[in-house]
Amino acid sequence: MSIEIKHVSKSFGSFEALKDIQLTIQDGEFVAILGPSGCGKTTLLRILAGFEQPTSGEVRMEGRVVAGEHTLLPPEKRRIGMVFQSFALWPHMNVTEHIRFPIRTHKATPARIKGQEEERIRQILELTGLSHLAARMPHELSGGQKQRVAIARALAPEPSLLLMDEPLSSLDAMLRMDMRREIQQVHRRTRSAIVYVTHDQGEALAMADRIVVMKDGRIEQAGTPQDIYLRPETEFVAKFVSKSNLVQGSWSGNLFTPEGSNTAWNGDGIADYFKASGLYPVRPDQFLLQPDGTEGIPGEVVNVQFQGKEFHYDIRSDERNWEVISPVALRLHEKVRLNLADSAEPLGA
Amino acid sequence: MENTNASTIALPKTGKGRKSLSGLRKLLNLRLLARLLGAAAVLIFFVYPILKLILLSFQGEHGLTLDHYANLLQQDRFWSTLRNTAVIVIGSTVFSLVLGTAFAWIVAYTDIRYKGLLHMAVLLCFILPSYVLTLSWSSFMGAQGWVAQGLRMIHADLTPWSMYSMGGIIFVMGIHHFPLVYLFTLDVFRKIPRDLEWAARAGGAGRLKTIRQITLPLALPGLTAGGLLVFLASLDNFGIPAFLGSPVNISVLSTLIYEEIIGFGPSAFARGASLSVMLGVAAVIGSLIQWILLRKSHASDTIQPDHAPRYALGKMRKPLSAVLWGFLLLVTVVPLASMVSMSLKRAYGLGLTPANFTLDNYRYILFENERVWQAIQNSLVLSGVTMLVCLVLGCGFAYMRVRKPTRFNKAAELATAVPYTLPGIVFALSMILVWMEPIPGWNPGIYGSMTILFIAYICRFLILQIRSGITSFMQLDASMEEAARVSGAGAWRKWTAILLPLLLPGILTGGLLVFLTALTELTVSALLYASGSQTIGVTIFSFEQAGNTLYSTALSSLIVLLIGIGGAGLLLVQRWAARKGFKA
Repeated sequence: MSIEIKHVSKSFGSFEALKDIQLTIQDGEFVAILGPSGCGKTTLLRILAGFEQPTSGEVRMEGRVVAGEHTLLPPEKRRIGMVFQSFALWPHMNVTEHIRFPIRTHKATPARIKGQEEERIRQILELTGLSHLAARMPHELSGGQKQRVAIARALAPEPSLLLMDEPLSSLDAMLRMDMRREIQQVHRRTRSAIVYVTHDQGEALAMADRIVVMKDGRIEQAGTPQDIYLRPETEFVAKFVSKSNLVQGSWSGNLFTPEGSNTAWNGDGIADYFKASGLYPVRPDQFLLQPDGTEGIPGEVVNVQFQGKEFHYDIRSDERNWEVISPVALRLHEKVRLNLADSAEPLGA
Repeated sequence: MENTNASTIALPKTGKGRKSLSGLRKLLNLRLLARLLGAAAVLIFFVYPILKLILLSFQGEHGLTLDHYANLLQQDRFWSTLRNTAVIVIGSTVFSLVLGTAFAWIVAYTDIRYKGLLHMAVLLCFILPSYVLTLSWSSFMGAQGWVAQGLRMIHADLTPWSMYSMGGIIFVMGIHHFPLVYLFTLDVFRKIPRDLEWAARAGGAGRLKTIRQITLPLALPGLTAGGLLVFLASLDNFGIPAFLGSPVNISVLSTLIYEEIIGFGPSAFARGASLSVMLGVAAVIGSLIQWILLRKSHASDTIQPDHAPRYALGKMRKPLSAVLWGFLLLVTVVPLASMVSMSLKRAYGLGLTPANFTLDNYRYILFENERVWQAIQNSLVLSGVTMLVCLVLGCGFAYMRVRKPTRFNKAAELATAVPYTLPGIVFALSMILVWMEPIPGWNPGIYGSMTILFIAYICRFLILQIRSGITSFMQLDASMEEAARVSGAGAWRKWTAILLPLLLPGILTGGLLVFLTALTELTVSALLYASGSQTIGVTIFSFEQAGNTLYSTALSSLIVLLIGIGGAGLLLVQRWAARKGFKA
């Protein structure tokens, strides 16, 4: 289903949760909405679901206006599935009944599915790996199994849009990794559009076709995971998604000279915003740690954390702290120079 | 539900843009109309009666006056009543506090056995209607009761302490209300983190010092709130002073109001109203203090109660168990048994021997006295209808209150709590004032028929259902509902397939509570009944006033049986719910 969000704003009293949101979602696309808590991402999802009505602007699904100032198509009349953060399983229904409920209840369920209900249930149970748990009640399931039931229920009536509200945030770290794989698999096999809300940039980068980064009710940047990660367009995206350091200095043409050094860094692929404000975003792994006395920003190692294949350093230079990830082993208080790993070559080549 | 918010936002715009859909405007008007009707109903049924009562207490022949109050203050009867009320309320509150706190501490902290059973036994004192407890104690301690028989065996001149006295009233009231303190403090005790007590012990304090300096101060807000609850209940209580005090001319505010209204003198209503305002003000002040105290202790809401015992009783366990069980048996079961044995006697003066044993009293009240049979029918119909109406209204309102906690909904909740917060006798009087002539000069006969009882019961008990409904809805995450809607369920399917099955245990528990409370109600019906609309409570009261102890004890025993059946039903519902995995 193609979805167009046009100039959507939403206020709760005097609080503006969404400010003039513009977004188009293609058929079969996996879009992650990424942002810190309170950025409006959940409100946007709830508008897509039909639980909230935009204060202004409209939402179209397959060309039809489903939400506007004076119209609101309720959730039960939209062809959507939704996975909730809390799973929202019904304590009085077993796994099979959860899957059967939307198939029977949803008016938009295709006739071929309604006609072969048992077959569809079997198919969905298999897809989500729940076949052996079909008769279990929710309180007899583990966290990961509950999440699979929630996904199975959402998928059962073959929705053209699947909404996921931080579906992995109530699971532990190990399980989250496994579930990412399963959600990707579900997306590949069903080809339904997915809008996935999360505050975890790792999840968004790993799964989405496209990431929409939000902050304070506005879209900061939208693009492919690579775009967002490698070519941030705002300070917020640079810091939030790739944990970049913002180095201050001066631009002359396409060359950047960091403050307090005489090296020059290539500015290919750096957004105009940074060029205009005398900044250069550097990801922790982009820094090259060189011996004292060479070119680059001078600094001192003030903290070291060994992480297995690499070290996480805090480097202090003057009043600033830089975060650096490097395989080079250094001692505490050692003096170093920071340079760009591929300063000689253009980025993104 | 989700539409309402949006449509109110769109409201100013519909007036501006001519093009907006007329259907939407109709919907808006309907919502507005429903809201206005709701507000009007709340005002008429819950707020207006109180205003009318207050107004009447100030109304003289020529405008507003303080005459009624001035007259009251000049009467010796008023001052002696006030003194009695104070002594009885304070005495019984202190008695309840001591008993309730002790029981709560033992159940919460020690490893005493059969806690579940002990809990139920304590609650029994409160579940029994106060007049049944009173009757069982007066028959137990009476000249023909078991205590008197026992004492006669020791010495011919020994007689038991008379229950028809201030002491008797304080005692029975204390026993009736101590479960309230117990329930309140039990939770408070369980929520005191045990680390705090351990820290005191580690710091060198002994057991008693720890209890005195750590546990009790921490429990103090809860204890005070529990004490105020009992204070309010004692002010409200009508049955105990009416049964034990009236025969010996001890009156308290609630019985004095009753006598004023029943006496029907020239300015009876006005005097009753002024007395009611005074009693009502005392009750409202008590409620306010309690509310403030509880609001402060809201922080402990997130602390999980700690159910594991903290003190091992060791050798003390058996003696302490014996004392507790002995006390509880003596306080409820033995007097009840005494009452039942009384009801099985052929005549009041006789001992219970096989020759004197008879079921005649039961046969009389059930089959020969039409008024009793009618009272049972009335009470059953009244409480059944009250339960059903409260179920529908209470749950509907609770749902709105939880999902849309607007200022209007909060105010409406407060208003519906008024009839239950006010002493029953005050509320009953305000009902008479409003419904005798709903529109001045027009008497549709509501007062004097069952109708006023229906209205009064529903208004008074609605808040019980609303509270239990709110608790149930709070436990149900909004996402349960949303998941149903995304799955394609409209309003009907959402309620029948998801909400009701999940809420049923909680709602039914609330409903049964309303049913049992209404079934045994005495205070409100004592003032509102007329010939033909008498209730069970009123009938027992009339038997007792007429000196027909055998019949009153027989009917009370029947009531105990009915409550037993109701209680068993409640347990079954809860057990069934627990098996299905719901929180009741």
